[in-house]
Parts: sequence; C-alpha cells; structure tokens
Amino acid sequence: MSGLLAVWQSRDVFLWGAANTLLLVLGCLLLSIPLGILLAILLTESPGPLRRSLAELVDLLRCVPFLLLAYLVYYGLPELGLRLDPWWAGLASLTLYTTAYLAEIFRAAFLAVARDSIEAAHAFGLSRGLLYRRIILPQVAITAAPLIGNQVITTIRDSALLMIITVQELTFAANFVSANTFTPFAPFAAAVGLYLLMSFVIEAGVRRMERVRKVRFG
Amino acid sequence: MTWPAIRTILDGAVVTAMLAAVSILLSLPLGLLLALLRWRRVPVLAGALAAFVSLVRATPFITLVLFVFFILPSAGIQLDPVPAAILALTINTAAFSSEIWRAALQTFSRDQREAAAAFGLSERQIFTRIVFPQIWRANLGPLISEVTILLKCTPAVAVIGVVEITRAAGRVGAETYEPLPPFLVATLIYTALIATLVRGQRVVERRIARRYGVTR
Amino acid sequence: MAEIDAAISVKGVCKDFDGFEVLRDIDLDIAPGTTTCILGPSGSGKSTLLRCLNWLEEPSKGSVFIHGKPIGRIGTAATARPMARRELATARTSIAMVFQHFALWPHLTVLGNVVEAPVHVLRRPRREAEAEGRAILSRVGLAEKADAYPHTLSGGQKQRVAISRALAMRPKVILFDEPTSALDPEMVGEVLSVIHELAKEGLTMVIVTHEMRFARDVADTIVFMEGGCIREVAPPQAFFTDPQSERAKRFLTRH
Repeated sequence: MSGLLAVWQSRDVFLWGAANTLLLVLGCLLLSIPLGILLAILLTESPGPLRRSLAELVDLLRCVPFLLLAYLVYYGLPELGLRLDPWWAGLASLTLYTTAYLAEIFRAAFLAVARDSIEAAHAFGLSRGLLYRRIILPQVAITAAPLIGNQVITTIRDSALLMIITVQELTFAANFVSANTFTPFAPFAAAVGLYLLMSFVIEAGVRRMERVRKVRFG
Repeated sequence: MTWPAIRTILDGAVVTAMLAAVSILLSLPLGLLLALLRWRRVPVLAGALAAFVSLVRATPFITLVLFVFFILPSAGIQLDPVPAAILALTINTAAFSSEIWRAALQTFSRDQREAAAAFGLSERQIFTRIVFPQIWRANLGPLISEVTILLKCTPAVAVIGVVEITRAAGRVGAETYEPLPPFLVATLIYTALIATLVRGQRVVERRIARRYGVTR
Repeated sequence: MAEIDAAISVKGVCKDFDGFEVLRDIDLDIAPGTTTCILGPSGSGKSTLLRCLNWLEEPSKGSVFIHGKPIGRIGTAATARPMARRELATARTSIAMVFQHFALWPHLTVLGNVVEAPVHVLRRPRREAEAEGRAILSRVGLAEKADAYPHTLSGGQKQRVAISRALAMRPKVILFDEPTSALDPEMVGEVLSVIHELAKEGLTMVIVTHEMRFARDVADTIVFMEGGCIREVAPPQAFFTDPQSERAKRFLTRH
C-alpha cells in the first residue's frame, strides 16, 4: 500500500517520464521513417559502390548494442565539437539506430512490391516521384505495417536505456521513485503498466492496418 | 589506451559471453516449454502465459533487470547481480523465443503428424522424433538471431553492477577521464561477436536448406 | 461371427463434421488377402471411410474391427469406452497407411523413414530393420536412394518410399488414400505397378482411387460410394460391365 501511495505522490515524476519516453519515440519516428525510406531507396537504386558501402554501414549499425551507440554519440559528439545535452544525444542515437532497422524493413517491402504494378505505372507515364508517392509507398506502408509496429515497440524498449545517460524517461522515473521511497515494487509495476499500454496502442494500430491490407489485397 | 585497460574490458567480455551462454541454455528450453503449454491449450495456464509473454515483450529489458534486482529482496530472495542478470536475461529470451517455438508448432505439417500417428508413434514419440528434430532445424536461423538479440541486451545488466564489457569500459573511462576510447573498444568487441553470429546463422541456414530442402 | 473371419469389419459407422453427414451407417466386411478399391465421386466419403479404418478420423457412431479386434473404441454401444492413446497406437501398428501427399518425414533419410516406426514403435533391432528396409527398397526399385533425403526425390519415388515405409511394418492391412492423385501423369504408372505387385502377394489392401483401369485390373472387390453411403459392392468384372445402381451407371459413363 505504501508503494501505491508513493507512486501516487510522485505521479508528476511518472507523467514527466512517460511524456519524455513518448516525445523521444515520436521524435525518433518523425525523423527515422523518412530517413529510413530514403536510405531504403538508396539501398535499392544507388550505383554499386555507394549501395554496397551503405549496406555495410546498415549491417554494422545493426550489430551494435543500442546502449553502446548511445554512449558513443553522447561522448563522441563533443569530440567533434558538437555538445548535446543527454536528451538530444539520446534522440540522435535512437534515430540513428532506428533508421538502420527501418531501412532494412522498407528495403524488403520495396522488393515485395509487385513488379507489374510498377511496370504499369511506367506504361501510364508516371514520373519517378509519382511512382513512389502513388504506387510504391502506399503498398509498402500496408505490407510493412506489422514490422514497423514491432520496430516501434523495440524503439520504446531501447529508449529506456537512455536512463543510463541520465535522460529522464519512464524507467528513469521508476528507478528514481523506487530509490527515494524504498518501495521498489509499485514504481516499477507502474512503469511496466505504462509500457504495456503503449504497446497495446501500437498493436491495435497494426491490427487496423492488417484489416486495411485484407480489404485491399485479399 | 593502455594494455591493462584493454585487459579489463576483455575480462568483461568473458563475463558477457558467460552470461549469454548460460541464459541461452536456460531460456531456449524454457521458451519451448512455454510454447508447448500454450499450444496444448492448458486452461487458465495458457492464458496466463500469453499475458506473461506480452508483458515481457512490452517491457524494456533494462526495466526488467531493475525490477528483478530490486523486487526479489522484498520477496526475501537475495540474489547477487550475476544470478539476477541471468534470471532477467532468461525471462526475456524465454518469452521471445516461445513465440518462435509457438509459430513453429502451429504451422507444423498436419500430414506428417498424422502419418506418425498412423504408424503407431506415441504422442511423446511424435514430438521427440518427428516434430522437434524438424522445428529446431527449421528455426535455427530465428533462434540464433535470438542469441544476437540477447547479446545486444546484455549491456543493460551493467546497471545492477555486473562487470561485463560495458561496465568494464565505463570503469576504464572513469579512471582515465576519457570515456570515448574504452566505449569504442567495447563496441568493437560486441560488433565482432554479433557479426560472427550473424555470419554463422547465414551459413547454417544455407546448409540446412541444402540438406533437407526448403524447410518449414 | 463374420468379423472374426474378415480382415476389416465396419459396423454401422457414421461420421459427421459439424452436423454435416459425411458417412451414413456404413457396414462393410473385407476378406483377408484381398484387394478392395473404393470408388466414387469426390465428396462421397471415400477418404473419410478409409481414415476411419485406422481411427485417424473418429466415427461419430459405429465400430471398426481389424482381424476381430476393435480399434478406437472398446466394447459395444452403451459400455463403449475410447481406447487410451497408447492402446490406439499399438492397434495401429497392424494397419499401415500410404497418404495422398506422401507425408514422408523430411528430416530423415529414405531408409530412416522406412525404419522409423519398426525401430521405435515395434522395437525391432535397428540393424535387422535396416537390412529388411533395404530389401524392401530394392524391391520397389529404390535401393540406391536409401541414404538420400526425401526432397531430392521425384513424386513417384516419394510415393514408393511411402509404400516401403508401410511394408516395413509387416502390416496385416495397408490403406492407400488416393496414392497417385498428387503425382504427375508420367509417374502414376511406376506407383501403380508396385501396388499391383503387392496385390499378388496376399496382403490385404484397401485403395481409394480415381484410376478406373487400375481398379479393374487389381481389385478383387469394388466398393462404390456416393453421398456418404455404400451403393454397391461387387467384383470388378460385374461392376464395370453391369453396374446395378443408377448412380454407379452414371458415375461410370462419366469416367
């Protein structure tokens, strides 16, 4: 009971933490979805040497644990003369990391777009821009939705590691309240509940896209 | 960086490898057990396990680590950081791998199962002789990729004081006031370990496809 | 009692899937050492009847006896109880089956498929089972494929492996569920000729098939089904030249 009370009394800390987690993830998605699409286009269409080095880079990034990437960005950028506070360094590393994964997802989805629908678009004289905007991307969005949903959940999970570089997100809040009130269970349970809520929302979104996919593609 | 500093990080690498090995050996069979219980639709238990799996999948690993480490003492169980880390890693990977096992059980060929029943194999024999030998091979790729995901999770256990690669690198950084070089070395070690696993996974998948035809 | 003499005896078997009647009150006795072909239009219940014989499908009513021994359910009507899983597994060892889509176990070699049940169900020594398995494989012309994996074989070869797997059980009865329906036309012959050879050796065989000429050549008895009922049981000569029922006449003019 004292635990619940402690959580209630520090609800501002939790709300602040949850808001930070959401802001980080939303900011990351706003940046990494367009970047991921761009990177995926480069990965499928750019000339050989560039494509190969980009592919290597994406593969390499996917081999790095996120916490290490966050450390490298946080401690590395100042060496390059760019001083970021933990929040912005966290957003930068989360975006970089998520972009690499999304690029792979989008690349696979591009490859799955029916060749004949692209040929038909060429036959009707669609420009490259129109082809991507009207034909390819809508199909990609629908087929890749479940994987993107998974990636968003992974991004939320990764964002918790940013507590280690002192970003005040949700897990940071739980740990802070737990340490200050000596009641570990309730604060962490509250955090887990909020994470669960976020993943429910995302899964509901994915299910909605699934329905769209069923209606349109059978 | 000095040689002793690099030694410190390499000692951490041994701990990381040990954590990963022990946790994977515990969590893959546990994941299979969870999947079997859910697949058999044991009433109540199957529902509870489904809820448990979604809970773990939604919870950040570092949150799980802190949870396990701080909760257990209030339940009267004192765990050192290393066993607590192994416990958290095992819970996490068991939940994720149970989804792989469950999908494999659900999509397993009905024809083959029937043929085995028609030839008098018992339920247990159908599982141990026909189903299991195929599903572990067909899913070796996804299972190895669980190992790489597990390895990528391990830095989080630094937060409860396990001196693995990341914490060792942090220590070196704190002593030298230069955090970047040790973290670069640590990243290099992780990347080498994970890239090796990814490459191994591709080789294994190709070999299995060649021997048994297209699996799944 | 007839069912003691019969290799297979079916008494009042009914089967419905969610209220849809697939088999209606089937009675059938099959003499030992004979080959019976079950013919009929698709959806007539042929395969379901065959699958009831080894209890892969559980009849809603009725019983099946193999050489006088009940399978699936023990006792009659009021006192009947379902067999324990283990009892059922044991009962099935005397009835082998060949499936339409082969249902080979892809993780085992050809020989591995053939000896799997003899070694692990019948507990025969592996060496002995393997020697016998190789002998059977060479009989069906697959001696050199013993160590190959199923995915490297053609459809006709796969089905001959499936037949070898059935023979290796030294079964009293072999059930064939449309053994050539999944094969390319040029491979049908090799499988049918193997089955034809077996028919000469006095095994009891029940074959669901669409191959009319083959049924005529190989069967001792034709069972014609339609609409979940047995409409006619006759020797092939009689069935093909002078079918008694209108339905059989119509079926034969279409095939």
